[in-house]
Amino acid sequence: MTEPDTLARPATPDSLITRSTGLEPLDKKPWYRPRHVVLQTGGGIGMVAAGVGYSLGKDKNELDILVGYVPTKYAGSSLTIATAKYTYSPFVLPVGERWQIRPLTVGGYLSYTHGTVNDEEKGQYAKGYYWFSTDTRVGPVLGSRLAYRRRTPAGQPRNVAFYYELGSNDLYILSYVQNRKALSVGDILTLSLGLKADF
Amino acid sequence: MLSIFRSHSLISYLSIAATAVGLSSCEMIEFSPNDHRSPDDKQALTDKHLTTLLANPLPAGDTLRFVYTGDSQRFYDDAEDLVKSVNQQKGVQFMLVAGDISDFGLAREMWWVDDQLRKLTISYLTVIGNHDQVGNGRKAYGEVFGALNYSFVYGDTKFIMTDTNGREYNFNGRIPDMPWVRQQLQDNTVRRHVIISHVPPQDEDFDPAVREAYVTALREDPRLVFEMNGHRHDFSIGQPFNDGVTYVNSYAFEKRQYLIVTMWGDKEFRLKKVPF
Repeated sequence: MTEPDTLARPATPDSLITRSTGLEPLDKKPWYRPRHVVLQTGGGIGMVAAGVGYSLGKDKNELDILVGYVPTKYAGSSLTIATAKYTYSPFVLPVGERWQIRPLTVGGYLSYTHGTVNDEEKGQYAKGYYWFSTDTRVGPVLGSRLAYRRRTPAGQPRNVAFYYELGSNDLYILSYVQNRKALSVGDILTLSLGLKADF
Repeated sequence: MLSIFRSHSLISYLSIAATAVGLSSCEMIEFSPNDHRSPDDKQALTDKHLTTLLANPLPAGDTLRFVYTGDSQRFYDDAEDLVKSVNQQKGVQFMLVAGDISDFGLAREMWWVDDQLRKLTISYLTVIGNHDQVGNGRKAYGEVFGALNYSFVYGDTKFIMTDTNGREYNFNGRIPDMPWVRQQLQDNTVRRHVIISHVPPQDEDFDPAVREAYVTALREDPRLVFEMNGHRHDFSIGQPFNDGVTYVNSYAFEKRQYLIVTMWGDKEFRLKKVPF
């Protein structure tokens, strides 16, 4: 606890502000630099999906950009899936010194799949033959997150979090809405498991 | 205090939650809507139903009778009611679904249809439709149901199931697979032939380059009782090519009617419409 770097830092303008407001030390990073890396499986966006994300609005909003991969043996062709996912976690609950729970994460995603077998070649179908897109999906997610609170030697937070999300997509939801007798909510749910690490 | 939040505990809670909603976590962890990994009881359904059907051959002298329907796509509530109705029918040996099992070519949709149709007291068999080939649907159909072209013999009748969804192959001139179709039609060890496919040959979704060959092969088959399709969602019967070959189109599930087909003699048949 006596590391000079953390307790008695040189009086630069930044750390003066820090001291006077009592907030976390400011991260001097450009706006476009992502705040975390993400690794996820499932959720319809890849056997493995990896990417980066941004924190917005006091870290309760996050925008993640992911690229996922599914090998041929699981989907019939090798798929690359690009996804943008936005989530909002209204509650951040500390658990002891080292842990933190976000009991509720709600959000949505938009994904685009490249590499399907039957990919609507030009002129193959008349306009509107299939009214839905085979490649673009949108859907909601709902989940929770458990974070381990790490800090850099300079005292800046670098959490590592595990999350799960239940999700669905536009086509599944439409199917359910029109068939409330024969389908259940469980039929249209997907599960994703993921890790998020600040850097 | 903290131990309950260890990740392995979380994962076991999740598995319990997933099981509670009716799917194992493995199936819920869907890699893509095109992911066709299916639970054991949702794989190779064609083979499984054929094994069951052929284990109970039609006794000599019994009338061949089957339910004919098609286009179950996204009509799951209707499927539930259809099953209840079909289960009331006496003396029906199996059911045929003339393609478009799914709407978006996704394995989960095929599971959902099977969730209903597996409640049938008889076997059911399918042929692939154009909607079953959207995206990676062809692979999903192969996983959940089986071959895109297959045939079976029941009640002295050869049922020839073939993929006629030419537009899904961008009219490559090879759909339907005419060498395979001709080979099937040449089987003279049975009394009757019935050929079943999704897109009818008079439809604009049938490959125009193969139409003549297909229609001619059917016309020249002395054992053919009729050709059967789906795709148009409504019942019809006629001879569109005025060549003596009868074409029958199925109701879609949404039309809340199906056909009971009875066959006897060389080429005698009767169709009964059943509303549900």
